[in-house]
Amino acid sequence: MKTKLIALAAGLMTATALASVPAKADVKIGLIGGISGPIAAMAPAMVDAAQLAIQQVNEQGGIGDGEKLVGVVGDSACNPQNGTDAATKAVNIEGVAGIVGPHCSGAVLAAAGSVTIPASITLITPSGTSPEITSLEDKGTVFRTVPSDDYQGRALARTMKEQGYGKVAVAYLNNDYGTGLANAFKAEYVDELGGEITQFAAHEEGKASYRSNLAELVKGGADTLVIFDYGDGTGLTILRQALENGFFDKFVGGDGMKSDAIINELGAENLNAFVASSPVGEKSQSLDVFNEAFKAVGGDPDAIFVSTSYDATFLMALALEKAGGDKAGAAAAMVEVSNGEGEAILPGEWKKAKELIAAGTAIDYKGAAGDHNFDANGDVPGTYALWEVGSNGFEMLTEMQ
Amino acid sequence: MEILGLVNYALFMAIFIAIYALLALGLNIQWGFAGLFNAGIAGFFAVGAYTSAILSTAADDGRIGGFDLHFLLGWFGAMLAAGLIAWPIGKICLRFRSDYLAIATIGVAEIIRLVIKSEPVLTNGARGISGIPRPAGDIGYMESQIAYLAIVLAVLAAAYFLVERQFNAPWGRMMRAIRDNESAAKAMGKDVEFRRLEAFIFGAALMGLAGAMFAHFNRSITPEAIDPMVATFLVWIMLILGGSGNNRGAIVGAAVVWIIWSVSEIATDRLPHEYAVQAKYIRLFLIGLMLQLVLRFRPEGLLPEPLRGDRRTSQSGTEPH
Repeated sequence: MKTKLIALAAGLMTATALASVPAKADVKIGLIGGISGPIAAMAPAMVDAAQLAIQQVNEQGGIGDGEKLVGVVGDSACNPQNGTDAATKAVNIEGVAGIVGPHCSGAVLAAAGSVTIPASITLITPSGTSPEITSLEDKGTVFRTVPSDDYQGRALARTMKEQGYGKVAVAYLNNDYGTGLANAFKAEYVDELGGEITQFAAHEEGKASYRSNLAELVKGGADTLVIFDYGDGTGLTILRQALENGFFDKFVGGDGMKSDAIINELGAENLNAFVASSPVGEKSQSLDVFNEAFKAVGGDPDAIFVSTSYDATFLMALALEKAGGDKAGAAAAMVEVSNGEGEAILPGEWKKAKELIAAGTAIDYKGAAGDHNFDANGDVPGTYALWEVGSNGFEMLTEMQ
Repeated sequence: MEILGLVNYALFMAIFIAIYALLALGLNIQWGFAGLFNAGIAGFFAVGAYTSAILSTAADDGRIGGFDLHFLLGWFGAMLAAGLIAWPIGKICLRFRSDYLAIATIGVAEIIRLVIKSEPVLTNGARGISGIPRPAGDIGYMESQIAYLAIVLAVLAAAYFLVERQFNAPWGRMMRAIRDNESAAKAMGKDVEFRRLEAFIFGAALMGLAGAMFAHFNRSITPEAIDPMVATFLVWIMLILGGSGNNRGAIVGAAVVWIIWSVSEIATDRLPHEYAVQAKYIRLFLIGLMLQLVLRFRPEGLLPEPLRGDRRTSQSGTEPH
């Protein structure tokens, strides 16, 4: 048995060694996603969106001197152990020019800290929303196409103040998403704007009843409940039980709560007092172009984080084109192709972008999920709106500043 | 570039194997020597990682510390904290027999994970702690990997030497006696409860040290790292496959399992890219299959526990039964 096992291990390694000889001069980028972990349901659509960008690049003349762009899919399983392992393999074995991903914040922090920053490889994550990523000492090589939770939480607080909300209670899901949003909201609402939060409590997901949590939250006399959770999961249970028992008059949710599951389950007529914030594509034209293209390849454009995944991959390709295939220059080029100045490039317009780059003209990518004008930390400001429930689903109430 | 890349990848794997080997050594003290079924490895791993992170990071307003201490102090602190946490847990839980102990320790690990996720003052909550200094981290990519590997290997060698010594000492024989026949050991005047607690704490301290080395390597620690799949069950597979009760087996098991775990992904990447997403599950299947095969055909592991009794009988001419 020992020999059999050793033979198996040796066989695998031989296969790898044989297979890792590059066929031709392709330009590779790593697509590292949480494929087998807790976000396994979301990851395939995100990878598909990234592959769409790669497909478009190859159909429209390829990268650099007609070379083929290849996406190497890696599995971060949403944890740092597999995230660093996948990133190390992508960087060293596949020799990728840049990494799109990992999908989860913990994996992003670890992969950046132990692999991509030391190896000077550009990393752009489509879904790592932790504010910790902002403060990484990354020599400008870590980017993201999704706004930090910090940004949305603060924008929501400002908008609620404008809309005249008073005393509120906050219930948030105890993970990096819920905690990040809730803390940012609290910092802005209480410390900056002088609002009052009567109760501020985390909850665990997946319980059958949150009535005791709600009974606790309602103490202190707030009439509004702010929920940072997912509308197709625990957030729905909380909202339903709060409505059934009349705990609060008004409800506000983050982007996770803007889910059609809420309307389908609870009925639009019961949701008059419910609003949710959610990102909107600033140039809706870009979003339309992407939606059409993604539908054409059989994707669901409403799936979460698909537009950011597409943008991250397309931006990586643009940056590599701009840098002339130079890995080290990709980070600087990433800022140049999307800094708000130059000829506008919409999703899928690879040929146009390639010609403009060759001519030395400045370009500015207008992504499906926003303009992506990176700041000094590689973060993007989001464009958010507050949505209310109308007869035809969610309708925009006001833009958030 | 290709060769340099392979070397870098090998270095990375070696560092991970050494860290996992420390976890497996810790588990070997608990399960291999003392027969304690600890299914809460992730909990002690996390205590060590966070303790060292708090001790060695720069001061932060939002949470306790950081105390900006030398990383070695952080690592000692990690061992100490994991041992200290293990003490009351062992005091209460070690009265349970094997399977009940497994349930209790799973619960304990889950409690530790939830506390870490829910106490921003202590651990920065779900955001985790980043900016942890990595020893020799400022030099080039490969150089810093080599330096870190040297440090980790030195720690592993020291741990192996000490644990191996204990195993061959009267203490090790006593632990195995307690494991194999508790009543007999008690009749010989051994303080069974105290000795089992001792083994539990030693093992937990090693797990804490492994957690600290993991956190410093990645320069960050988040609650996502306390995933039972990669921090508890993978270690169990390593020890069972390598051979529980044998320290070299624990290290070999860590190497074999991690290499298959990591390298199989490169092999599955050769499949056509339509299957790229599905192919990622093959390695989960491979690990499970490997465990089944080992349990079926070689339940004692690749390197079985050295049994002196058997060796003596075979030397004197009679075949062991």
